Amino acid sequence: MNQLQQCAVDLPQSLISGVLQGGAFALVGIGLTLIFGVMRIINFAHGDFLMVGMYLTWFAFNLLGIDPFLSLVLTLPLMFLLGAVVQKVFINRVLNALPQNQILLTIGIGLVLSNLAMMFFTSDYRILSTSYSSSSVKVAGLSISVPLLLSFLVTAAITAALYLFLLKTDTGQAIRATAQDRDAAQLMGINVKRMSLLATGLGVALAGAAGALISPTYYIYPQVGGAFTLKSFVVVVLGGMGSIIGATLGGVVVGVTESVAASCVSSGVKEIFVFVLFLLVLLFRPAGLLGKSRM
Amino acid sequence: MRTLLASLVVLGLLAAVPLWVESPYGLHVMILIFLAVIQGESWNVLGGYAGQYSVGHAAYFGMGAYVTTMLLQFKQVAPWYGVWVAVAAAVALGAAIGAITFRLRGPYFVLASIATAEIVRLITLNWKEFTNGAEGILLSEVPPFSIGGRVLTDFSTKAPFYWIGLGLAALTIAANWWVQHSKLGYYLQAIREDQDAAHSLGIPLARYKNYALAISAFFTAFAGALYGLYVGFVDTAVQTVEVSVQIVLVCIIGGIGTILGPVVGALVLVPLAEALRANLVAEALFKLGVEETSRTGLFLKENLAHAHLLIYGILVVVVILYMPEGVVGFVRRLLRRRPAARPAAGGKAA
Repeated sequence: MNQLQQCAVDLPQSLISGVLQGGAFALVGIGLTLIFGVMRIINFAHGDFLMVGMYLTWFAFNLLGIDPFLSLVLTLPLMFLLGAVVQKVFINRVLNALPQNQILLTIGIGLVLSNLAMMFFTSDYRILSTSYSSSSVKVAGLSISVPLLLSFLVTAAITAALYLFLLKTDTGQAIRATAQDRDAAQLMGINVKRMSLLATGLGVALAGAAGALISPTYYIYPQVGGAFTLKSFVVVVLGGMGSIIGATLGGVVVGVTESVAASCVSSGVKEIFVFVLFLLVLLFRPAGLLGKSRM
Repeated sequence: MRTLLASLVVLGLLAAVPLWVESPYGLHVMILIFLAVIQGESWNVLGGYAGQYSVGHAAYFGMGAYVTTMLLQFKQVAPWYGVWVAVAAAVALGAAIGAITFRLRGPYFVLASIATAEIVRLITLNWKEFTNGAEGILLSEVPPFSIGGRVLTDFSTKAPFYWIGLGLAALTIAANWWVQHSKLGYYLQAIREDQDAAHSLGIPLARYKNYALAISAFFTAFAGALYGLYVGFVDTAVQTVEVSVQIVLVCIIGGIGTILGPVVGALVLVPLAEALRANLVAEALFKLGVEETSRTGLFLKENLAHAHLLIYGILVVVVILYMPEGVVGFVRRLLRRRPAARPAAGGKAA
């Protein structure tokens, strides 16, 4: 009973940490959902792009002395470029292939990325320690980690900007139209190839941004991506494939589930709860928690 | 008939190998190839014929390895009894996972297969009193195998593992052949081509997918058991997504839904990984003129040994883009294009 009481006492703290953690998960998920929405391809290399973002941030910090949050101005365009190249060279050529083959292609790209990272940066764990890495502020008796709070705020800003872009600009609407119906969009004179390029670029840039944002609080190593690939699937399925608001919600749900499970059961099993939740949603609410899937 | 005869000849020749090959390393590589063949052919039943791309087969492989090893190490149950418990456990696990995942299709099935296998891995990792958790289980020894008091082998050399591996690989290939030519196989292929059409023709989808998974899990668990006994150590590394992915790659690179595919895949991937590990590739590059002491040379020497996953990644990208039917399908298409060049009947029958 003792542990249960303790976890009830800690609940507000777990909730706030979970929501803050969830911000970064949401960002990874939004990237995945954007790529899926426009191309119907599930990107199994998504976590590995996040890993690349983490290393970029680490080098920007240690070689150039740029703060991880400021380095986004560098990481975002570089990762966009990487995504666009991957789209142009690889993904474009399997758009009409069997879904299984598309999945395998991205698995292969992920293997190449993580093993190249291992080759060039070794498998050592790296830590990016900023002056505020372990600092926290007290609000109403709850301690809020500064890097998590910052990353949450930046995530919120990026998500809002992306949402406005998709909703209000012509290009954004063209991307959404391509996601709704590729053929119809093409008939309306939309350059769907360009929209695919933009979507993959943006999706990969968002994964990279998430990598940058979490790098002050996570270990950085070549294999870090695998766990995030899985987590981003969960985030996206919870919110409904292709829905950006859904992915935001999914990120927060995953973050909260993990932090409550870690405080109430043990941190070793927190991921079991996430995967069980994932399977339950897949089986009983396949369209996601919000019930409809659209961009 | 000719195929069967040729297969038996190949099998006989392979069985004789340990009699005149003394190099333990040579046998080691062959055992790894057999393991990959068993894994690939098992996956092929579900992924190749039924079209259900499971990326969670490490769960069954791990079940085979863990249960056999745990029964032997903790309860002193001889592996030739223990392995049946392990295999039964893997098939039961398959039934449970199938009940959850086979309602889902396409990418959702793939995701669910990964999630279920990860749940199994996390339970193994956290159930420390039962499985030793992250420490894993180190086998003290494999007991000698005897029939009627006469000791057949004490497993002191690699040869017995070689023969078991060869036997299991041959059995798994035979099972594939049987599946391909049975009603079950036709049903599975119908499900692969069009689930809804198959359903409307009266094929019970869930039941036949579960049959395929049961066969697949059965043989995969045998591979796991052999692996556990051969290596003498099991930890949760045998249950990771990487293992599942490597099982799939054997089939993809060789050719999905063909009997020969996983064999070709194993023959490509395993020797490649071993050549990299033994630094043969780096040395070959040095002979070709790369300066060994230059910066590039040192870099290659240092890194190529662990590069097999990188090369696997490049290979799968190349295969998906340029020969989506795998090496076997690619070669067949080449042969069909030039009917004058007829394939040799003998060497290709295994």
